[in-house]
Amino acid sequence: MKVWSRVIALLLAVVLGISLAGCSSGQKPAEKPAEKQPEAPKVKDSITIALQGEPTSLDPQFPDDGNMRAVTDNVFEGLLELDGQTLKPKPALATEYKVVNPTTWEFKLRSGVKFHNGETLTADDVVFSVTRIIDPKFKSQIAGNFSSIKTAKKVDDSTVQIITNGPDPAMPVRLTLLKIMNKKHVESVGDKVTTQPVGTGPYKVTEWNRGVHILVERFDQYWGNKPSIPKAKYRFIQEGSTRLSALKAGEIDLAVNLLPEYAKEVPQVATAEGLEFPFIRLNHFKGIMANKLMRLAVNYAIDKEAIAKNLFGGYATVAQGQLFKPGYVGFNPNLKPYPYDPEKAKELIKQAGYKGEKIQLIAERGRYLKDGEFAEAISMMLRDVGLNVELKYYDWQEWLKTLFNRERAPDMMYSSHGNEMFDADRTFSSLVHSKGPMSSYNSAEVDKKIDQARTEMDPAKRQKLYEEIGQMIYDDPAFICVVNLKDIYGLSKDLQWKPRQDSRITLYEMKLAGQ
Amino acid sequence: MLRYVFTRLIYTVVVILGVSLLVFVITHVIGNPVNVMLPLQASEEERAQLKHQLGLDKPLSTQLKEFLAGMVRLDFGKSWWQQEPALQLALRRVPATFQLVIMAFTVAALISIPLGIIAAYRPGSIIDRFLTTTSLVGVCLPSFWVGLLLVITFAVKLGWFATSGYGTYRHIVLPVVTLAILPAGHMAQIMRFSMLDQLNQQYVTTARAKGLDEATVVFKHALKNAATAVLTMGGMDLGRMLAGETAAVEMVYAWPGFGSLILETIARQDFPLLQASVFVVAVIICLINLAVDLSYGLFDPRIRY
Repeated sequence: MKVWSRVIALLLAVVLGISLAGCSSGQKPAEKPAEKQPEAPKVKDSITIALQGEPTSLDPQFPDDGNMRAVTDNVFEGLLELDGQTLKPKPALATEYKVVNPTTWEFKLRSGVKFHNGETLTADDVVFSVTRIIDPKFKSQIAGNFSSIKTAKKVDDSTVQIITNGPDPAMPVRLTLLKIMNKKHVESVGDKVTTQPVGTGPYKVTEWNRGVHILVERFDQYWGNKPSIPKAKYRFIQEGSTRLSALKAGEIDLAVNLLPEYAKEVPQVATAEGLEFPFIRLNHFKGIMANKLMRLAVNYAIDKEAIAKNLFGGYATVAQGQLFKPGYVGFNPNLKPYPYDPEKAKELIKQAGYKGEKIQLIAERGRYLKDGEFAEAISMMLRDVGLNVELKYYDWQEWLKTLFNRERAPDMMYSSHGNEMFDADRTFSSLVHSKGPMSSYNSAEVDKKIDQARTEMDPAKRQKLYEEIGQMIYDDPAFICVVNLKDIYGLSKDLQWKPRQDSRITLYEMKLAGQ
Repeated sequence: MLRYVFTRLIYTVVVILGVSLLVFVITHVIGNPVNVMLPLQASEEERAQLKHQLGLDKPLSTQLKEFLAGMVRLDFGKSWWQQEPALQLALRRVPATFQLVIMAFTVAALISIPLGIIAAYRPGSIIDRFLTTTSLVGVCLPSFWVGLLLVITFAVKLGWFATSGYGTYRHIVLPVVTLAILPAGHMAQIMRFSMLDQLNQQYVTTARAKGLDEATVVFKHALKNAATAVLTMGGMDLGRMLAGETAAVEMVYAWPGFGSLILETIARQDFPLLQASVFVVAVIICLINLAVDLSYGLFDPRIRY
């Protein structure tokens, strides 16, 4: 009797467990529950977008927050905006601009632009917005993007000049990140500016229910093309697998930042070149990697295609021998990735006179997509050509300290790079210039060209300088450029949207099938 | 009684002060919010400037003094990311978590206590065996994983409930069930154990011998004595749910409570908001413990304050 009851009890427990887990093996394929859309409207007039987290604020001038930008990029506009595919600045609130002298830019404002509160855009709003973001007391987290701006002044009601500290050829791109706010509104609402956004964009915020959702609605008096989707709801789902579930259950129409392994499961996948990607920095200053032959050898030793295909599931492309992608200012179209040639690598290592000395590779893990696995793959490939690579993972803070301290620079260092200005200066000044905070490269000649290009106002000459620098740090390698990662979005069946190269989530460029 | 409550409240203040100090020291010694707030590409000057703006370049003792002076006035400063008073932001997240925890706790108690009593009354029976096995499973399952499983089964495949979010019954059922599993397992085990213990006491035999009906024996005498153990355990579970379990569950279900807030805040190293959130949680847990201690008196007449 006792034995029996024990057996039955166990069976019951097992059955309970299976009934929990077993349903997911799906004897009944998913039927869309009827109750979900009670009175299914013929044409959906609203979509739901799942972000990775709740915006910290809706003041587009304050935080450096991608979740916020996903909303505010549809609510606010800059003087200029980026073309989502070519990454070239194009007119937005300014219809044209000219360089008056190397430190003065003049902008003609579009006429008849309305803010969501009914006010008309004037030069005062622009001057106010520029001076607000560079004001040290305001403590904007993105003020660093605008550190070259000295001031802004009104010429007349529809003309504004922006004065820089020195020549700054990257000004047009910077201005795509500087959102124009309504002076009167900001001055009258005080602290509430973080929750009551008033912009000129195609959508206006109608509700922010903290922790739950943000609702936006098409702005009828928008100056530009009328967007296709009338309304949208933003939800905040941090956990990636929950975003996937919500998309599969039909609760949301767009899920951002899916893992490559989830991509197979969603109704529709859309990708674009992403912003951040991993690379290996080589120590050009000192140690074993100071030998150019060794730096060339490691470049030949890495099978970049295998990493793109196997580690990132195909959601990555092989980097073009540089840290830029087509479309970036300074991209060198003549550079090709170093081919995967282990024999050549071994030969170079022999020529370099390498005797099995230990080579450090410092990485971190858990911060970026598959960072630990990436460093592991690199170190395996290097060991395969006979290098005695010692891979160490540091915790984030320690890794940062190492990254920013040239004295402690290891032979090789894993890092991740993103350039939201799409302009070579940001990358070269920080990673290649011998005085750059994250640089372990040391070449007076390269330094000179970087300094020169930074203030070169002729775009063609500037581009040429950057291409020369690109070639120099390719021939005498500063990095192992491996892959560029793609942003992966999950879309519902009827949502149509082509993701952008700048990772912005542009509601006004989306459409629903049947509209 | 009043005197006891008063003393306990003083202890509470000491505990909260201790917790806040600990969090202050840990965050300021280990953390580096500047590196989290700025992009990797930021220059040394940008880093130094932000450090200055946040007041992190002052000596630690000065920062501590300012923090304590603010805390006395319940002013933790503005959140570095959200630019709103930190305490206000933390308090705004309390109701959602309370809703979740109280419902989950009620569900757990309603299931586990009756089952525990029945199991103890008929030890070795099928129900008893079933209960001891399942409660063990319940205690061992990580709620994060259970949550994902329930979402896939009941939201994606069957479509009965929403996968995540906040608002209607469709949103609350799954998180409540997920959160209830662990305390239900715990309380069922404790209920069974202490009830079994009481039913074997001599006073139970005496009560039966003098002809009291079985219901009175079990519910009036044995249960009353067995209750204190469950109460202690329940109080601890409630604290644990509020301070830890909810964070994982809120994460899976995108529930807007303070568990997920604390996780986000740690990731962003938003010190003022982190301090305020920890303060709120510490106050709530201290109050729960006080309530549990006071309620012992209801069940055990020997306990007087």
